[in-house]
Amino acid sequence: MWSYIVRRLLYNVPVYLGIILVLMLALRVNDPVWARLGKSASPEAYQAFKEQMGLAEPFWRQYLTFLGKVFAFDLSDESWEHTGVSVGGLLRVSFPPTLAITVPALLLTSLISISVGLVSSFFRGRWLDRALMFAAVLGMSVSFLVYIVFGQYWGAYALNEHIEGELFAVAGYEPGPGNWVTYCMLPVLISTIVAMGYDTRFYRAVMVEECGRDYIVTAMAKGAPKRKIMFVHMLKNAMIPIITRIMITLPFLIMGSFLLEMYFNIPGMGRMLLQAITTADFPVTQGFVAVFALVFILTNVLTDVLYALVDPRVRLA
Amino acid sequence: MSAREPVLQVRHLSTCFRTERGVVTAVDDVSFDLFAGETLGIVGESGCGKTVASKSIMRLLPEHLSFLRPESEILFDSLDLARADEKQMRKVRGDRIAMIFQEPMTSLNPVFTVGWQIDEALKYHTDLDRSARRARAVEMLRVVEIPDPERRIGEYPHQLSGGMRQRVMIAMALCCEPDILIADEPTTALDVTIQAQILDLMEGLKRKLDTAIVLITHDLGVVAQVCDRVLVMYAGRLIESGPVLDIFHAPRHPYTRALLDSIPKSGRRERGGRLRTIEGIVPGLHELPPGCRFEDRCAGREQRCADQEPALEPLGQGRAVRCHFPLPEEV
Amino acid sequence: MRALDRGFRWLLGQRGVRKLLRDRVALVALAVISVYVGIAALILFFDVITLDETTERVGPRTMPGVWESPSLESRLAFAELYLETVQNALDKRSPEKALAEVRFAELELAALSIDERQALLDEGWDLFDELDELDDLDAAAERDPGVLAKLSRFEETAARLYRRPTGCAALKYRARLLLGTDRQGRSILVRSIYSIKVATQIGVVAALISVLIGTLLGGAAAFFGGWVDHLVVWLYSTFSSIPWIVLLTVLASMFMGSRFDGGLVPVYSAFCLSFWIAPCRVIRGEVLKLKELEFVQAATAIGFGRARILLKHVLPNTAHLMFINFSLLFIGAIKAEVILSFLGLGVKNEPSWGVMINHSREEVINHFFWQIGSATFFMVVLVLAFNVLSDALQDAFDPKHVG
Repeated sequence: MWSYIVRRLLYNVPVYLGIILVLMLALRVNDPVWARLGKSASPEAYQAFKEQMGLAEPFWRQYLTFLGKVFAFDLSDESWEHTGVSVGGLLRVSFPPTLAITVPALLLTSLISISVGLVSSFFRGRWLDRALMFAAVLGMSVSFLVYIVFGQYWGAYALNEHIEGELFAVAGYEPGPGNWVTYCMLPVLISTIVAMGYDTRFYRAVMVEECGRDYIVTAMAKGAPKRKIMFVHMLKNAMIPIITRIMITLPFLIMGSFLLEMYFNIPGMGRMLLQAITTADFPVTQGFVAVFALVFILTNVLTDVLYALVDPRVRLA
Repeated sequence: MSAREPVLQVRHLSTCFRTERGVVTAVDDVSFDLFAGETLGIVGESGCGKTVASKSIMRLLPEHLSFLRPESEILFDSLDLARADEKQMRKVRGDRIAMIFQEPMTSLNPVFTVGWQIDEALKYHTDLDRSARRARAVEMLRVVEIPDPERRIGEYPHQLSGGMRQRVMIAMALCCEPDILIADEPTTALDVTIQAQILDLMEGLKRKLDTAIVLITHDLGVVAQVCDRVLVMYAGRLIESGPVLDIFHAPRHPYTRALLDSIPKSGRRERGGRLRTIEGIVPGLHELPPGCRFEDRCAGREQRCADQEPALEPLGQGRAVRCHFPLPEEV
Repeated sequence: MRALDRGFRWLLGQRGVRKLLRDRVALVALAVISVYVGIAALILFFDVITLDETTERVGPRTMPGVWESPSLESRLAFAELYLETVQNALDKRSPEKALAEVRFAELELAALSIDERQALLDEGWDLFDELDELDDLDAAAERDPGVLAKLSRFEETAARLYRRPTGCAALKYRARLLLGTDRQGRSILVRSIYSIKVATQIGVVAALISVLIGTLLGGAAAFFGGWVDHLVVWLYSTFSSIPWIVLLTVLASMFMGSRFDGGLVPVYSAFCLSFWIAPCRVIRGEVLKLKELEFVQAATAIGFGRARILLKHVLPNTAHLMFINFSLLFIGAIKAEVILSFLGLGVKNEPSWGVMINHSREEVINHFFWQIGSATFFMVVLVLAFNVLSDALQDAFDPKHVG
C-alpha cells in the first residue's frame, strides 16, 4: 500500500513541475512589471522594481527559485497590492471561507445526487425515472450564472421580503459557525443545484450498470429482497466509481466557488486570485495558482489511493 | 422405474420478450416433469432458449422486458410459480429451488467475502443464529471439498481459483438443502479436469440430499456423463426428450442425430478428412418459419415440413419427438 | 458532388446512424439545432439582423414584454420618454436636424406642423405634471378613476407625436417590442436572436478546433506510442490540473492590451487550450483499442505508411466519438461564454447571452426578469437540444452505454 502511494506521488512530480513551468511562462507573457507600474512609469523605476522583485534574473533561475520555495512551503513573498502581507498570510485568511462553501457543497451534492440516482435506477424506465432524468438534463442546460442570479433573488431578496427578516444574506461574509447559515448556505444550495444535473445522471448510470451484473441475479436466486439487493449488493459495488467521481468533482467545486465568491462577496481563495489578476499582483497570482495546482495534484493522488482502499480487488495489487 | 410423483411440473411454458422489433417468443410451449433425485439435462445450442426456460422457472427475468404467456404453468409443491407473487417467489428461491450459473467470477459479488455470501442465504431461509450460520457455512465449504475452509471463509472471490469459486457457488446453492438445483452451464467456464471434479461433486451431493438437478449445457459429453434424462431444444422449441442412454443410442430427431454425429470420435476416420457439421444457421426469433424450425437444415426434409410445424408426439417409454418423419429406431 | 453522395451513403449505412434516425426525440433536437444554425448563418452571411439593430433604441428603458402589463408608474415614465425625446430635439440648436433623427426603429415622427406639435407637447406636459404630483399613482388610481383616464389621455397625446408604422413595418416593430427592452431601451428579442449567431460562432469554432486538436493528438499518442504518448499524456495532465477558470483568466489577461483585446480571439484560444483535453483522452483510449484490431495489421501488411493508416483507417472509426465530443464541447463553450462575460473577459463588442445575463443582474433586483428570462430561454433550448442529441448519439453508437 505505501509503495503504491509513493509511486503515485512520484509519478505526479514531473506533472507538477510542468504545470509550474507553463504557468510561470504564461504569467510572464504580459510583463508583470509593466502591468503593475503602468506604462507611464519611468525606466529607472521599472528597472529598480524589476530587480527588487527578482524578475530580472534569467528565467531558469526564477523557475528554480520558485520551485525551491514551493517545495519548502515558503510563501513569504510579499503581495504587491496588500503591502506588508505575505502570500502565505493571504492564503491563510482566504482559505477558511472557501472551505466553508466547498466542503458542505460537496457533501450535500453527493448525498442528494446519490439518493436521486438510487431512486431513479430503482424505478428504471418508469415515469419517475424519466421525469427525474429530464429534470437533470434541463438543469444541466441552464448556466451557473442564471442559478446564481435567480438564487440570490429568490433566496435572499424575495425570501427576506416575504418573511420580513433576513434568513440568507444577499452578500458578504463573517467567520464563525453561527454565521454559516446566513452567509454560506445559499451559495452552497446553489452550488448543489448546479452540480446535481451532472452527478445524478452519472450515478444513475453507474447504478443501472451494476444492477445488470451477474451477481445481482445470483442474489435474487438466493431469495434476497429487492431492497437489500439495491442497498447492499449493488450500492457497495457502485461506491467504487462513485467515490472516484466525488474526488474528481472536488476540484470543480473549488472552481465553482470562484463564481460564488465573486458574486456573494465572500473573501475566499478564488476571489483573492481573481483580484490579484486584475490588480496585476504578481506574487499572489503566481503563489495562489501554484497552490491550486498542488491541490489538484494531491486530489489525483488521493483518488488513486481511495480507489485502492475501496475496491478489494485492487488492495493486494 | 417406479412411478414417482414429479417434484416439478412444467406445462406449456412460453416466455416472451419485448424488443425494439416487437414481441419475441424465446421459449415456446415447453412441458416436462422433473422427478426427485434425477438429473435432467437440457441441451441445445446457444440461443435455443434453455437458459431462458430455467430462469423462467425461477422468475429471474427482468419484469419490464419479459413475460410468461398466460397458459404457462410451473407447478411446484401446490404452488404455480408462473402466478406466484414476489413474496412467495422469494421464499422458494434459494430455499426450495436453487440456481448456479456459468461464470462464477462474475456471479459472486466481488466486494463481499465468500463466507458473507453463504451466510446471506442462510439468513434469509433459516432461523440459525450467527455462530450456527458460520458453522454451517464452514461445513458447506468442507462438503464441497474446499481445503482449509476456516480460512477460506474470510476470503474474497478474486482470491480463489475458478474451480473453487464454482464450488462456493454450489455450497451457497445447497446450504439450505433445496429440492431442486438448476445448474446453468456450471462447467463451461472451467477447464476439463476441474469440470470432471465439479460434476462428480454435484452427483455426490445429489445422492446425499436427494436433490433433483436440472443441468443446462451445450456439451453432449457432460450430458452423457451425468444426466438421467435429457430434453433437446431448438429455436425455443422442445424437439426431443427421453432417457439419456436411449437417445444417445437411437436419436429419433434429425437434429439430435446431427448433433451426435458432429462429435469427433477418436479412432474414427471421417470421410474426406472433414469434421461433420450441420449446415445453415438457427433461424432468428424474429423470422421464424411457419413450418418446422429445423426444416432448412434437415437432410430428410419434405414439403410437409415447410408447411406445417410438427407437434410433440410421445413415443412410449418416456420418449417424445417433434418431427413429421422421425428417424427409425435402430435395431 | 459524388463525394457528397458517397458520404451520405456511408453515413446511412452505419447502423448507429439508422438507430439515431429512428429516435424521434433526437430528430426533434436535430431540427431545433438546424433552426438555430440556420438563423446564425442568416445573420452572419446575410445580415438579416445587423449589429446596429441590436444597439438601436426601440423604446423606453426596461420595458416589459407583451404579456406583462406594466405598472402605472412605468406607463407614465414610458410615455414621458416619447414626449421628452421630441422636446429634447426641439431644444437643440438645429431642431430640424434633431427632429429628423428622432426615431424608435420603425416608429417615426408624425408629419405635423410646428404648431400642432407644440400644442401636443404643451398638453402632454400639463397632463404629466398633474400625474407626476401624485405620489403613489396606483393608490391614487384606486381612489379616483379619473386618474386612469388622465393617464390614458397622456399616453395618447404622446403617441400622436409619432406616426404609427403600417403593414410590414408595423409587424417588425411589434416584434421588436415583444420581449421588452433592456436598460438602454434596446430590443431584448433582437439581441437574444443576434446572440444566437455569437453563440453558434463561439461554439462551432471552439468545439471544432478543440475536437480536431484533441483527436489528432490523442490519435497520434495512442497510435505511435513511445515518447509521443508520454508527451501528450504529460501535456493533458498538466493542463487539466490547472483550474479551468484560472486558465481562462490568465489567458485573457495575456491578451489584455494587445490588438486582440475585445474580440473573440482570446475567448477562442482560452476555450481551445482547455477543451482539447476531453476529446484527446477519449480518442486516445479508443485508438488504443482499435490499433490492436486486425484491420490495422492488415493495412500495415499491405504496406501503408503509419500516418496514412492512422488518418484514413483508424480515425474515421472514431468519428462517432468526435461527434459526441463536439456536441458536448459546444455546450461547454456556450456555457463558459456566459461565465466569461460575467467576469468581464468574454465578448465585448457584440451582444451575447452572457452579456445579457450579466447586464440583467441589477434588473432582477427590481423584479424585471425579461432580459435574463429571454437570454436563458434561447440558451436553454439550444443547450438542451445538444444535450439530448449527444445522449442520443451515445445511445446509438455505444452499445454499452447505459441510458
